[in-house]
Amino acid sequence: MADGKATGQTILVVGGGLTGLTAAVESAEVGHHVILLEKEPQLGGRVSQHNKYFPKLCSPSCGLEINYQRIRNNPRITVHTLAEVTKIEGQAGNYRVSVRKAPRFVSDKCTACGDCSRACSTEVEDPFNLGTAKAKAIRNAHAFAFPSHYFMDPGFAGSEEARKLVEVCPVGAIELDQQAETLELSVGSIVWATGWKPYDAEKIRPYGFGRHANVTTNMRFERLASPFGPTQGKLVRPSDGKEVRKVAFVQCAGSRDHNYLAFCSRICCLASMKQATYVREQYPDSEVTIYYIDLRAMDRYEAFLKKVEADSQIRWTKSKPARIDEDPATKDPVVVGEDTLTGVRYAERYDLVVLATGMEPMSSSAKPPADGVTQDAYGFVVNDGGPVIACGCSAGPVDVASSVQTGTAAALKAIQTALKAGGR
Amino acid sequence: MAYDLSFAREVYKNSEMGHWIKMCMQCGVCAGSCPLGPHWEHSPRQLFQMVRAGKKEEVLKSSSMWMCTSCYNCIVRCPRHLPITHIVHGLARYAMEQGMANPQQPTHRFASKVFWENIVATGRVGEAGLTMKLYFLDGLGAGIRMGLEMKDVALGMVKTGRLNPIPFRGKIKGYAGFQAMLQKAAAIESKHKEAKA
Amino acid sequence: MEKKIGCYICKGCGIGDNLDVGALESVARKDQKIPVVRNHEFLCGSEGLELIRKDMESEGVNALVIAGCSPRAKVDEFRLGAALMDRVNLREQVLWVQPVAEGDDTAEEDRQMAAVDYLAMGCVKVKKMDAPIPFEDPGFSKDILVVGGGVAGLTAAKNIADTGYKVVLVEKSDDLGGMLSRMHKVSPTKPPYKDPEENPIAGLIAAVKGNGAIKIHTGATIKKTAGAPGLFDITIVKGGKESTERVGAIVVATGFGLYDAGKLPAQLGHGSSPDVITSLQFEEMAKAGKIVRPSDGQPAKRVAFSLCAGQRSTEHLEYCSGACCVYSLKQALYVKEQYADASTYLIYQEVRTPGQMEDFYRKVQDEGGVFIKGDVTQVAKGAGGGLSVEVNDKLLRGKEKLEVDLLVLAVGMTPSLDTVDPNKASPVGAGEFDYTKSVLNLDYRQGPSLPELKWGFPDSHFICFPYETRRTGIYVAGPARRPMGIAASVSDATGAALKAIQVVESVARGAAVHPRAGDLSYPSFRKEGCTQCKRCTEECPFGAINEDDKGNPLFNPTRCRRCGTCMGACPQKIISFANYSVDMIGSMLKEVEVPEEDEEKPRILIFACENDAYPAMDQMAQNRAKISPYVRVIPLRCMGSMNLVWVADAMSSGYDGVLLMGCRHGDQYQCHNVRGSALAEIRLSKVSETLDRLQLESARVRMVEVNIMDADKLPEVINGFVDDIMEFDPNPYKAF
Repeated sequence: MADGKATGQTILVVGGGLTGLTAAVESAEVGHHVILLEKEPQLGGRVSQHNKYFPKLCSPSCGLEINYQRIRNNPRITVHTLAEVTKIEGQAGNYRVSVRKAPRFVSDKCTACGDCSRACSTEVEDPFNLGTAKAKAIRNAHAFAFPSHYFMDPGFAGSEEARKLVEVCPVGAIELDQQAETLELSVGSIVWATGWKPYDAEKIRPYGFGRHANVTTNMRFERLASPFGPTQGKLVRPSDGKEVRKVAFVQCAGSRDHNYLAFCSRICCLASMKQATYVREQYPDSEVTIYYIDLRAMDRYEAFLKKVEADSQIRWTKSKPARIDEDPATKDPVVVGEDTLTGVRYAERYDLVVLATGMEPMSSSAKPPADGVTQDAYGFVVNDGGPVIACGCSAGPVDVASSVQTGTAAALKAIQTALKAGGR
Repeated sequence: MAYDLSFAREVYKNSEMGHWIKMCMQCGVCAGSCPLGPHWEHSPRQLFQMVRAGKKEEVLKSSSMWMCTSCYNCIVRCPRHLPITHIVHGLARYAMEQGMANPQQPTHRFASKVFWENIVATGRVGEAGLTMKLYFLDGLGAGIRMGLEMKDVALGMVKTGRLNPIPFRGKIKGYAGFQAMLQKAAAIESKHKEAKA
Repeated sequence: MEKKIGCYICKGCGIGDNLDVGALESVARKDQKIPVVRNHEFLCGSEGLELIRKDMESEGVNALVIAGCSPRAKVDEFRLGAALMDRVNLREQVLWVQPVAEGDDTAEEDRQMAAVDYLAMGCVKVKKMDAPIPFEDPGFSKDILVVGGGVAGLTAAKNIADTGYKVVLVEKSDDLGGMLSRMHKVSPTKPPYKDPEENPIAGLIAAVKGNGAIKIHTGATIKKTAGAPGLFDITIVKGGKESTERVGAIVVATGFGLYDAGKLPAQLGHGSSPDVITSLQFEEMAKAGKIVRPSDGQPAKRVAFSLCAGQRSTEHLEYCSGACCVYSLKQALYVKEQYADASTYLIYQEVRTPGQMEDFYRKVQDEGGVFIKGDVTQVAKGAGGGLSVEVNDKLLRGKEKLEVDLLVLAVGMTPSLDTVDPNKASPVGAGEFDYTKSVLNLDYRQGPSLPELKWGFPDSHFICFPYETRRTGIYVAGPARRPMGIAASVSDATGAALKAIQVVESVARGAAVHPRAGDLSYPSFRKEGCTQCKRCTEECPFGAINEDDKGNPLFNPTRCRRCGTCMGACPQKIISFANYSVDMIGSMLKEVEVPEEDEEKPRILIFACENDAYPAMDQMAQNRAKISPYVRVIPLRCMGSMNLVWVADAMSSGYDGVLLMGCRHGDQYQCHNVRGSALAEIRLSKVSETLDRLQLESARVRMVEVNIMDADKLPEVINGFVDDIMEFDPNPYKAF
């Protein structure tokens, strides 16, 4: 990681999640200069919010760490965080890109000693924990955040306490007068890897998320299961902290549904199977029910389905639940629907219901700011020779391995496009 | 019984909104959403699969589509945007057209006879008369029994102004126009029937 | 060039306030004889860095010992161009995990001792390091071999050529195009994802044939793949004649086979009527023109598709082929295209139409396709020359019959490559290998085939690194890697092309590829010390080492991923890297001052995997967990590089215990070098002999699995081990 010159052959990668990281390191390891942009203060994207990956049930930080090492050791990669593309002009091999860089209020003198965060008494909403916990107004997003430079909440920067914290930093890294800046980059090609965001579960009214205390989402459940999450990994329910012994997972919460997202988000079946193992591992006497339309464990993920199916405490109900009620006395959620294999109507009570909410492409709202970008009805970017090369969940809902795989393919396409400027 | 698309095609073509049936993915939301769900012989989803499987007799003789109260929960929730309420009503009507609807099905009896006669007579529903007719459909004894059973509900409804105990006499304003509308509708319908035939 | 070491001690982040930096300087200067020793208040700041730069320019300092924070921090700042450097982790490994209460002199003394030991180890490490000289060979080729001329192979070849590299394409049949050339159309890839698209294969074949950078060998197979990345020598056999090509990397895109329909369960009716056909036969029929009943040539307007035929089944293929649902949708539309009054039925277990393919599913329903959840239970002759297919309909909960003209069985994809289960004994010496049965015929000591992951596919075990196989420079793409459809194969082949290009470029720089990307070191050995025990050649997870006739190892530096497993395996301690060796680690551990027995301060050595355990320890320090002051940590490239002699050295030097922290191993291994931690465990199982010989308890040496997220568990793991060790008497070898 170092300052790279933005020459005609530089590749711009937009998005510092696993897909973008991959596109960046893979092209840099061929020998190209890469500028990697991330709109959050630190890299890692959605995967860094996950507790474990399916099917190996291993930690995302393990692979991220290797990728961060590859960035640290590669002088051809330049990383800009808190950076968003505002304009793209030009043509293949020769693009001019405007980037807005928001202030971090902490300079790269920061040694991540943590003194400021410990001294800080103000807590703010923590997007990393998806509303399940608060965080210090000056912090590292999470344990393995990279670059490991702290950042300050913009709303906090003007406060009295922020001014006091300036004195706390032993190396003088807190700079409250930092302003947003605009970078003008000249690049040969652009990889678009802005990924996805969890579908807003409150929009799925019949399921009561936001109204029922013990209806949560799959991404929140990842944070709940994480040893670095709000409960240090203890699976308890939000209303009363009770251990969750009976848990339902509701598939296609917002996916395959014309009222919400009409496409299939692909990963949610496997994600729920994985999360079912979290419950089963933590509480051996627990019971889990997975409500589904079709179990989509593609190709060799079939082995993972078989493994989860082998646990008799995990039940499968082929049904898209009609609604979720809440018992006002106990706050138990009650799942209501029809078991399509038996025709029986059920109303089943649980400690916690996890909605397997789908993936909405970031690009559905944050469109690539360029002429000639094709997007499908859902906002995914179509690779049809336009100014950006989409990969990972910018192009379609994919799992982690496919994100990396398409990020690698995009790296080659980016190299080919950048080479069109060769000699100029 | 064999899967045979001739019945399905018939429904897609002739039954109101019937062509939507092919889009059902059998998720079960409609059945779970229906407030009367447990009382249905076949849930909408099942009816749709039966249509696709060519089970004409079973579908058209089913009492299920007569159970719909038009609450629209299923339409609102259907992930495939099927207009389920309309499809179900369409099937009921198609069963009637085909002469396969069970004449003893209470809703059928109520809708096609009691309700119809009541509204056609004056141009509006006479609540008291309609209720009486409904109760006495199965004879005097059954009517009295039913009336006694429901008397508290009825009194409550009267008290709150939900039921007018005085039968509506005379005709609505513009009854002639109402009649003309009915005649026009009947003409359109018979034209449709001819076209289908 | 003469090595001149500069040692720089940072006083920032509380180091200067809590440690006796003057004493540390004197350790470096006097004990370690480091010529340039300095400290600075804030070494990673511009002034501190300038101090080092100046010494490098004016004092000729070319090797650095930087004592301050973790080597994972401030990497950019300390990239000062020194060929040799060690970062002594005083902050995370000493200061943050050894809080000292006001006035607790013992604790303060312990902490200072730890800092002294770590600094001494860093100095020794740099003394024992040499700058790696990148491996070079005048014969390096940047050309790339692509095996397989189907859609994946052609895509890879075209992309490699389009990026400016030459390609050698080998296809075993006489024509290019593979399976796709037998198919009619392809499933939609573009919005609105509703209609099958034209088959791209003809255009792709023309583009490849017309590209001067692609040399095509059709009707050809590979008799031998010798050498290593940059230096592969491929023996190609065509029409009985042999020729050789030198290439730098290989993309294997041999596609898939189809599961033998003859083996399918009888109830699916294959063989009972000519009107029961496979999905590929159906494609060929659609491509040829009319969709008819093979039995009598009558139009086949009523077609049933039985999905998962012989798939997701313990008796047949255990996996899902991942593509059949979508291609069966496409095939249902073929029928509709030809016959407006077509009846199509898709008999499924689960409709698997992920992503935007849900739109395609809806399109087929809109076209009247009927989906039936269930299994075909019987196929019989139907009325009027058709078939009567009985289905166990799970949604209607009963047996239903379909009268159809054709039944199409969506048979699964089978692997196309020879693979070996890496957990079974090496096939070396198992007799003459039949080269016609192998695609690549690797001239590797570990056998001619690629290591298998599962079910005959050589797929990567890694979620984060799907292209990583265990044979460097050889990338498998398309359904040869794992079952996949056409669009996925095109993308997969494009990525594999990138990886192949990356390897040839890395090799040209003498650099390693993933996971130690850019590492210039590579192993060498002292031949006269070798006893031909073959452990290195057997244990290398990447098959990098061949053997000569006498059993001496023949290193292939460009196959090497620099994990050091060979070094750990060698009982003679003769394998080493310029900057990583048995002697280096051995010298480091001996540099720790082991207190006398009567001081009652045990010393415990921790070997930590630098990929997972070490970052977890940094995190533990960030949490300010309290760790026993008696432990000393040495990071290893990989547990696979752990040489047992270090354990023996530690014991004979008076350490009281040794703890090894490696990654999870077994089926769900996380070791980036595949077998490192597993091999360490096996080696460790033999250490009890050594300990017995030294008359020491075998429980003094323990290996634990540490995940990168285990920061919260580590204090218990480490302090618990220390407590256990303190139950024993002190190591009696302290006296010697």
